[in-house]
Amino acid sequence: MTPFVFATAQYESGDWDSAPLVPANIIDSIARYTAIPVAPTGVIVPLSSESLLRYPFVWLTGHLPVRFSDAERRMVRRFAERGGLLVVDDHNHDVDGAFHKTATEEIARTVGPLRELPNDHALYRAFFTFEDGPPTTSHELNGWGDNLVHEHLLAARVGERIAVLYSSKDYSSEWGYHPDSKRFMAVDNTKFAVNLVVYALTR
Amino acid sequence: MRSRDSHGGTGASGGAPAASAPGGARPAVEWALRALVLVVLAWLLWRATRPPAPPPAVRATAPALRERLPAWTRAPEVRVAHAELAGVPSDTVRDWLAALAHAGVRVSYGAPALAPVAVAVEPVADPAGRVRLLAAAPGGTAVVLGDALGVLDSVRAGPAGATLATRTVAGVARAAAGNVAARGAAPGAPLLRPVLVLGTAGWESKFTIAALEERGWTVLARLAVAPDVAVTQGAPPALDTARLAAVVALDSAARPYAARIARYVRQGGGLVLAPPAAALPELAALAPARLDAPVTPHADALAGPDPRAGVPRRPLFALRDGAVAIEERDGRPAVAAWRVGAGRVVLSGYDETWRWRMAGPDGAPAAHRAWWAGLLAAAAYAPVVPDSGAGAPAAALDDAPVARLLDALGAPSSAPPAAAAREPRPALPWWVFPLVVLALLAEWASRRARGRR
Repeated sequence: MTPFVFATAQYESGDWDSAPLVPANIIDSIARYTAIPVAPTGVIVPLSSESLLRYPFVWLTGHLPVRFSDAERRMVRRFAERGGLLVVDDHNHDVDGAFHKTATEEIARTVGPLRELPNDHALYRAFFTFEDGPPTTSHELNGWGDNLVHEHLLAARVGERIAVLYSSKDYSSEWGYHPDSKRFMAVDNTKFAVNLVVYALTR
Repeated sequence: MRSRDSHGGTGASGGAPAASAPGGARPAVEWALRALVLVVLAWLLWRATRPPAPPPAVRATAPALRERLPAWTRAPEVRVAHAELAGVPSDTVRDWLAALAHAGVRVSYGAPALAPVAVAVEPVADPAGRVRLLAAAPGGTAVVLGDALGVLDSVRAGPAGATLATRTVAGVARAAAGNVAARGAAPGAPLLRPVLVLGTAGWESKFTIAALEERGWTVLARLAVAPDVAVTQGAPPALDTARLAAVVALDSAARPYAARIARYVRQGGGLVLAPPAAALPELAALAPARLDAPVTPHADALAGPDPRAGVPRRPLFALRDGAVAIEERDGRPAVAAWRVGAGRVVLSGYDETWRWRMAGPDGAPAAHRAWWAGLLAAAAYAPVVPDSGAGAPAAALDDAPVARLLDALGAPSSAPPAAAAREPRPALPWWVFPLVVLALLAEWASRRARGRR
């Protein structure tokens, strides 16, 4: 069985590599909590490349405005239609920020409108249970960014299936640390990342 | 030595002149009788060597044919009959003509060009097309397929005829080409119970489930995520043919179910094995073949015209007795199937078929769906539920009308048949034999009366 490979999206605009520690941290959590075979290192995959279709789970983050090129838009649309899951996280945690405005617009244009995902969605029970929906981040609780606690994630669907999952919660900052640091935490805050991957692999 | 004539003449003094007068007439009569017999024998010989005259043929054309048949049957002198048909005759007319032929009447028929079309209907364990219409017709023929409710589709027959998958067929399946329509009985729709997918959380599990659900199957799943932790979809029922159409075992996650799967298959259930599952010792006995070493796929083949060539694969070998290869690649079996007990097992040598769906050319998701649906259709237990309301009377069915016509009456001809080489001759007049016998007796008696031998 081919191991799961964590893929980070590389796009032409913006700063796609703003959270370089997130992949290793999520890979560590998957290996730690599940029996899913996982590749020890992630890959970086250009959104405009055909190789995007080799990785049905792709993580996209950044701070700066996002504008897909035509080739990127075409590939993302194809990726979504064929069953891939693109998880987009706003590294600014700011609904008035440049990333949020441009990324949501680009997603709506490429895949479809983003709508709130109910907090009782299967995503929140895919492995760990999150009764209240997406877990809050320290950035939300500290009042940084837009000073809001975002109650829901947003989703763009193809049919009934989630094709793009959008987060304003800044998990890129929340999970952007070395995996070894987990031992100093009372509660591992990357557990929700496991749900994201398990959900992508099973639904 | 004296002759009888001289002895007789001695006994009757002076009688020789008196006896010579009648003796002169009677030989003439005797000669006449002999001549008569010879003439009759010559006539018989001539008659025997002469070809018999063809008996007169009776004819009828399509509109009046049905009314003529009783008369033809009752009249003993009808020995040749020719029917001009406007198309394929009704079952009654065809069978009546065949019965006449069996009774000794030489029956022929003429007809316009008849398209040899035939239709068959078979249930398929596939939610997207539970019934398959198979039409046989010459290549290139336009065939209209339909049922009791109307036209389903029109297709052009290929070298192997035409096929149409449809959800239901109401009443009678119909395939029409030109002036010929074949009508076949539609079986009931197969009862499709859910499918259980057993696998590890991964892309193959996800996209196999997606393909089957998109095809219309109800999918129950148990996907292992961690030891003693699984993501389930639906409540996995007991492995029972009353509850499941098939089990799809994708990998080692099926190991805990191996004994139950084996029992389920032997009871009539269907099983689809992917290579990692078939490699399990617990399930290997159910597999129709063994798995060879993996073949490295062509890197660019996924996006090419034959994307399955780009899917990782383990060729099959050592097919068991009764196993059949239902797909081959590079001359080696890639998919095989066989029966185990009352059930069926399909083994696919392809692994990671999700790559085909994701990275294949345009239409790859649909092709991936169809391919998985085909695997499942080959294995699934899907009892046919008779459709009592839509059944057609047997008399209304004729699934191969032209073939039946040819079988019953032979090839058409434009004219009544010529006389047969061994045409039965009309009987001799009743008086011929007595005439010959009497003539010979008279001639013999006359001679004896004259004292001649």
